[in-house]
Amino acid sequence: MADEITALLLSAALIATALTALLAKKVSTSLIALFYTSIVLGIAFTVYGDALIGLLTMVTFAGAVSVLLLAVILITGESKLDIGAKWLALGLAALTTVVGVASFSDLFTGGSTSSVSDLSLNVLSFTWQSRPWDLLILVVVFSGAMVGVVHLLGAEQ
Amino acid sequence: MVADQTILFATGTALLFLGIAAIAISRNLVKTMMAFQVAVFGANLSLFSSGLSLQLECSTSGLCIGDTFVVLSILVGAAVEAVGLAIVVLVYRHYGTLDPSKVRRLKR
Repeated sequence: MADEITALLLSAALIATALTALLAKKVSTSLIALFYTSIVLGIAFTVYGDALIGLLTMVTFAGAVSVLLLAVILITGESKLDIGAKWLALGLAALTTVVGVASFSDLFTGGSTSSVSDLSLNVLSFTWQSRPWDLLILVVVFSGAMVGVVHLLGAEQ
Repeated sequence: MVADQTILFATGTALLFLGIAAIAISRNLVKTMMAFQVAVFGANLSLFSSGLSLQLECSTSGLCIGDTFVVLSILVGAAVEAVGLAIVVLVYRHYGTLDPSKVRRLKR
């Protein structure tokens, strides 16, 4: 029963933040809601036993949202972040904090989530347990993407 | 009672279709990139919940095949996001607008 309530809470938070990100009029409000979406998604992965995937999600999409924010500031010339409705930002922050504290409490109190403790002991071994072809594909995709970005941005100049 | 994996899978599918619909109707290229990110979130959550519910093969350290798919999806999504954002910046520099309907180079 508790698992279903947790899943429902996380789903409600995900849908609410994603809808805010898609429907907000101001781009900066959308970006902040998108950041909350990535945090809630990382919390969901962590709650269901994959701390590594959760942290990877948070770190990767925090970087993506930061770059998007820089691009928006460069394009629109917004000098300060106007988050729009304060109550909405406060509500989202409170919801994320409550769910985050509840989900990460096991990490600090040494809880019984066995997969989390196993992964934290063997973080470096993750590289060797992924299939080598996956890593090669990732390197090729990332190299291609970075070369494409450099070429696109350099061609204009 | 509906299982929690089913709830997560339904949420992931809803996010995926929400993102695709927003990509289709968006009139701002930056919003399109955000909608793409929401669709990636939905795909990741669907892959993850599928791996949970199907009990796919896991290694000795607890890393399952479903997790490998999620890692692939996250990194490929980040790469696509970087390229898309570079294209958005170039389009704005060249056309002075972010409205895709006003970018007519590829239209007849």
